[in-house]
Amino acid sequence: MQEFRFDIILYYLPMLLRGTLLTIGISILSIILGSLLGLIVGFGRMSARAYFRLPAACYINFFRGTPLLVQILIVHFGVVPALVGHTDVMIAAVLSMTLNSAAYTAEIFRAGIQSVEKGQTEASLSLGMTHRQTMRYIILPQAIKRMVPAFGNEFIVLIKDSSLLTVIAAKELMYYANVMRGQYMRIWEPYLTAAIIYLILTYSLSKLLNWWERRISQFEQS
Amino acid sequence: MKKGYLLILLTLVISLVSACGQPPAQDPAPAASSETGEPAAASGPVKFATDASYAPMEFMDLDQVKGFDIDFIAAVIKEAGLEHEVTNVGWDTMLESVRQGTEYQAGISSVSITDERKDSYEFSLPYFESTNIIMVKQGSPVKSALDLKDKKVAVQNGTTADILMTGIMGDNSAGLSKFESNALALMELDSGGADAVVADIAVVREYIKNNPDKNLVSIADSQNFDSEYYGIIYPKGSDLKAKLDPAIQKVIDNGTYAEIYKTWFGEEPDLTNLKAAMAKG
Repeated sequence: MQEFRFDIILYYLPMLLRGTLLTIGISILSIILGSLLGLIVGFGRMSARAYFRLPAACYINFFRGTPLLVQILIVHFGVVPALVGHTDVMIAAVLSMTLNSAAYTAEIFRAGIQSVEKGQTEASLSLGMTHRQTMRYIILPQAIKRMVPAFGNEFIVLIKDSSLLTVIAAKELMYYANVMRGQYMRIWEPYLTAAIIYLILTYSLSKLLNWWERRISQFEQS
Repeated sequence: MKKGYLLILLTLVISLVSACGQPPAQDPAPAASSETGEPAAASGPVKFATDASYAPMEFMDLDQVKGFDIDFIAAVIKEAGLEHEVTNVGWDTMLESVRQGTEYQAGISSVSITDERKDSYEFSLPYFESTNIIMVKQGSPVKSALDLKDKKVAVQNGTTADILMTGIMGDNSAGLSKFESNALALMELDSGGADAVVADIAVVREYIKNNPDKNLVSIADSQNFDSEYYGIIYPKGSDLKAKLDPAIQKVIDNGTYAEIYKTWFGEEPDLTNLKAAMAKG
């Protein structure tokens, strides 16, 4: 390994940080939209009616069972041109990450809700609560607390997986690392720098989530 | 303390990566060498790395690497009386492993000879003249590279097209998209996300030839895009350059080169510029 060139890292740092901002932006947007879509799919998956349940199950199976890289390419070169008439990197980036994360969050919702014992539903129904009230006041408050760690995980996975968007030239962190490699034909500087930035992102996020989890459990005890 | 931790982590990662760099199990020797019964050359076949995503220069046909470069290097190796094998490893891996020089002793992958790259690699004699060329859809107002300034342009990351267009459009131009392969950049033009692609002439011609129904046209711009020359890359200090340069010269002089050129490009090569560049080294 030749000497490590900090000067080119410094030179590219503004670009890498700009890419990092986009990585964060795409990840946040996708986790929010993905959760909303995931909520719908998750409830569909738990529905007693087959015409809700089956499409939801197919959706989850497809997006969890195919590589994200393939999904990104299909969305960018297939779905987005079909929808808006031409390729659009930003739409494709957010759409592919959203569709993918919705499949995982749907399962998180389902697992969270089904983890609350049946006896509680039966008890609240026998107390005269409606299904909706049971969900709102009994099940969801407990379920959401159990979902938080899984959600945090999904968010972290999303940040890391957004690096795949570089194949469609979305100008996120990995894109600029690749551009840097292309200019200097050096491997260590761009990729180690990118790795460290990703590490900082995911590590501080997991710290934040730990803190939030602790807060929630304190809140419950009081 | 935090810093010390990071350093340990880094060392771990690096040692892990270098441990993974052991050469993989060798392929069974080609049938030809076992038939002759002669001992193989002292150092075994010369191992070439390539990035076979650059038709017609080098590309995969099922599991075989084919293309102009592949036929050319076969002729050179035959002329030099050596044996060789070419493996498709991708662009990044090729660059890094040829620089290290342990697993692969050379790389042939339409690598343009540039001064920057000369810092890191030993180059063979130039063996191919190329130029970048613009591809647009029919009816586009683009006439030259300067017209692309405020357009959306797709290139392959790290290529000379990338370097040229970055020069014209600026370091952080929003309109310039750098893809991981020319195929992806061409697809971006196809589906309307880009107004133009800039790439090597051979790649663009091949694409237009293969997609006559897409109404694409190429625009040459010798004013802004200089001729460039491809060379084989070796690690610094390699003795292969001395062995193969005479063979390259011979293959080009004795007409073998022109034959290979004709099979891949359907026309006689114009060797004037190339020979001048070779004379310069």
